[in-house]
Amino acid sequence: MVEYDDKIVRWFMGAAVFWGIVGMAVGVLVALQLAFWQLNFGTSWLTFGRLRPLHTNAVIFAFVGNMMFTGIYHSTQRLTRTRLASNFLSWVHFWGWQLIIVGAAITLPLGLTRSKEYAELIWPLDIAVVVIWVVFAINFFWTLAVRNEKSLYVAIWFYIATIITVAMLYIVNHLQIPTSWLHSYPIFGGVQDALVQWWYGHNAVAFFLTTPILGIMYYYLPKAAERPVYSYRLSIVHFWSLVFIYIWAGPHHLLNTALPEWLQTLGMVFSIMLWAPSWGGMLNGLLTLRGAWDKVRTDPVLKFFAAGVTFYGMATFEGPLLAIRSVNALSHYTDWTIGHVHAGTLGWNSFMAAGMFYWLTPRLWGTKLYSTKLADIHFWIGMVGILLYVAAMWVSGITTGLMLNSVTPEGVLAYPNFLEAVNSVRPMQHMRALGGALFLGGFFLMAYNLFRTIWAGQPVTTVIEVPAEERRVQEGLTLWQSIFNPPVIYSTLIVVFAALWGFTGQISATIAFVLMIETALVAMIHLSISGARWSDWYERLLESWLPFSVLTLVAVAAGGMIQILPLVYSKAAVDYEKAAQHVYTPMELVGRDIYVREGCYTCHSQMIRTLVGDVLRYGPSGRLGESVYDFPYQWGSKRTGPDLSRVGAKYPNIWHFQHFENPRSTSIGSNMPAYPWLYHQDADVAALPSKVRVLRSLGVPFPERTDEQLRAAFEAQGKEIVADLGKAGIEISPNREVIALIAYIQQLGKSPAAAPAQAAAR
Amino acid sequence: MKDSQQYDPDKLRHHIYDGIQEYDKRMPNWWLFTLYGAIVFSVIYWGYYQWAGHMQPGYVRVEKQIEEFQKSALAGGAAPSAIQLWNMSRDPAIVESGQKIYMTNCVACHGQNLEGGIGQNLVDATWVHGGTPTDIYNTITKGVLDKGMPVWGPVLGAGRINDVVAFIISKNPTIQQPPEM
Repeated sequence: MVEYDDKIVRWFMGAAVFWGIVGMAVGVLVALQLAFWQLNFGTSWLTFGRLRPLHTNAVIFAFVGNMMFTGIYHSTQRLTRTRLASNFLSWVHFWGWQLIIVGAAITLPLGLTRSKEYAELIWPLDIAVVVIWVVFAINFFWTLAVRNEKSLYVAIWFYIATIITVAMLYIVNHLQIPTSWLHSYPIFGGVQDALVQWWYGHNAVAFFLTTPILGIMYYYLPKAAERPVYSYRLSIVHFWSLVFIYIWAGPHHLLNTALPEWLQTLGMVFSIMLWAPSWGGMLNGLLTLRGAWDKVRTDPVLKFFAAGVTFYGMATFEGPLLAIRSVNALSHYTDWTIGHVHAGTLGWNSFMAAGMFYWLTPRLWGTKLYSTKLADIHFWIGMVGILLYVAAMWVSGITTGLMLNSVTPEGVLAYPNFLEAVNSVRPMQHMRALGGALFLGGFFLMAYNLFRTIWAGQPVTTVIEVPAEERRVQEGLTLWQSIFNPPVIYSTLIVVFAALWGFTGQISATIAFVLMIETALVAMIHLSISGARWSDWYERLLESWLPFSVLTLVAVAAGGMIQILPLVYSKAAVDYEKAAQHVYTPMELVGRDIYVREGCYTCHSQMIRTLVGDVLRYGPSGRLGESVYDFPYQWGSKRTGPDLSRVGAKYPNIWHFQHFENPRSTSIGSNMPAYPWLYHQDADVAALPSKVRVLRSLGVPFPERTDEQLRAAFEAQGKEIVADLGKAGIEISPNREVIALIAYIQQLGKSPAAAPAQAAAR
Repeated sequence: MKDSQQYDPDKLRHHIYDGIQEYDKRMPNWWLFTLYGAIVFSVIYWGYYQWAGHMQPGYVRVEKQIEEFQKSALAGGAAPSAIQLWNMSRDPAIVESGQKIYMTNCVACHGQNLEGGIGQNLVDATWVHGGTPTDIYNTITKGVLDKGMPVWGPVLGAGRINDVVAFIISKNPTIQQPPEM
């Protein structure tokens, strides 16, 4: 007898619905803030820069996280015919995760952030995330180890890939050195930080928002459709190609920037190769519905699944498209990217979640769904919401992209004022907020519907009979047998030769290229001769959880190592391309941390791309050397406002002083929030010594100074700026945060070697 | 993958997982084509640009493009003379266009009525950086970075700067008509 633990499933589901509402509500608020700046309310903890990270973290880690745990814990028990290994670990996982979310919801609005997208949480919370993730992993793999079902179903493959890869990504991107209990600097700076961040950021989408949901699709979709899965071999091919290729695509977030060309090219070609593996998942889902399409009309669960999988296909076609260099020149930094992400998160994640909740709730509480009609209404409201949202973002992104890049025949910008572009898409911002609000409304209907269903039912305990001879299965393969096998050896050889071809001198590269092609041919011939034996080997691999997990880890680790290690070890980074960075003064460093705290990177980039439009608007394109001392990097990913990397000394201090207090006084029509608290809060000078100490240990050449000297330098620079402001009749203490922020802004672009280049391009 | 002789696409696999069964159907050909096609494309793309060295660093590429632009911009002719600017300031169409440009780019610092603010007053008789039409043109084009006046030349371009200068002249009664050349 095996009694499944469904209590934990019920709790995770409740948490997912709750945090889903919270996260999406914050999303609607930040969308409205872009349209109506007044909704920033002039309070620090409600400004866009602090709430946007709260929105992304809440919907990714709180909503999809809890939804993923619901689906994984429910389906894994059934697919292995085993109760979860440890009640204790399950509940530590549940409450640990919820506490982390509460911690995030408190710290992010307070401005406690690392400013790395989807990795903003401060270091104590990061450690908690790792601990809880490891608890989850132990609970999951322990369950696999004591399972009563010999072979691992495809859903489990995707869960394994999720758990392993998220752990790897999360740990590397969160390597950091604390300066206090609430603040730290990442150990990577500048381009290294950018690369690690997008290796993580892109694959958070891949392994947090995609693979677990594919696993969930493979369990719940055939269950709900009562049809066999379309193709086992398609599962194999798309699983392995997906996990191997996905990890390489991160640099497509940095196209046309200062990132070395070879990395940009890798990011682009791997994104294009990712198209088919992604569609493999969509095809296996949609083709499983063959013979069940009549049910899609009546069953809300299948309706959500069919639409969700279709949106997955749409988003994974758009992704490779946006990763093409020339398309990216138009789309990057615009709303198009935001629309793309939401096609995935609203269309794929939230619809798959809704389908799963509607399927689970009646079964977990032994009753019928309260109202099919309400679920249908939810579906259509949600669908209209997504379409409005995505269409608005397409129009807005393409419009602003074209306007900002467009150059007159005279060789100057057609729209020199950035705000012209921002304000030309105002109606789209309203439409997007409406779309988001509709989607949230649909989600409320679901919450009500589920609540009424639960109210009418009673928690069900599921017990199954497992015959004694089927218990505690033996592993099919040893680790050795799983690695020394033709499929693994051939794949490894091809990747090694490909890497040698890509990264070595002409002669060895040519040899490697020939060997790569030859190995591929030999492998194909071998496959056609002994395909059956390979297939038997794979069947036995599926009976071995540990070897399977190790092979998955190898597949996902390859890409990251080849891309990241060369940059980490190239210590020539300091004057990349003959452009060194100015070392911050104490006051500038304090100002920079205020810039980070306020989430300025959510709207402003600090990377002028190698595009004519960018160079004409902002000055010479960014060089790697110019951000080597930036821990964390601030290249940004979205321009709701202009690029700031060379804005220093462009305007007088008084301009910035008035601008932060009321952006519309200097930039008519701006939707930037006002920052009144910077004018009465004192800058955190006390933290300077430990910050400087940590940065020095990371290689930033700050001159050696005592704590008193640091303070004195800070005060001297503050007095200078205040004296300058005094000429315009302003009186303010030099310790106020706004003064430090102005000091930081005014040095942007002040790179010793870049200055002559800048003059030449003018 | 089974031997082709005994392969039957409609056969269900022997495993059943919690009631879920699996076919082992052939992968759609068009899908395999996109998979292999993308891989072949990637090999060729990498081979051409990275291996054979046809990829220049981005900053070199963009500098060349900018150079081209500047050549064609310079071909547009020399800076306008003082009298040309003055004459433009008597042309209502040009002044109106200048006003529009002023209102989006200059108004924040120089004021709704050119009365000044962060920037200088433009309707009085004081000209810190010179008050002839040519001086005004140069100040806008090259900026006065020390005083916080940005460089507008590459941003607005000569055409739009002419219009703004015309607008300013039309608003400031102290500027004298320059002698005919």
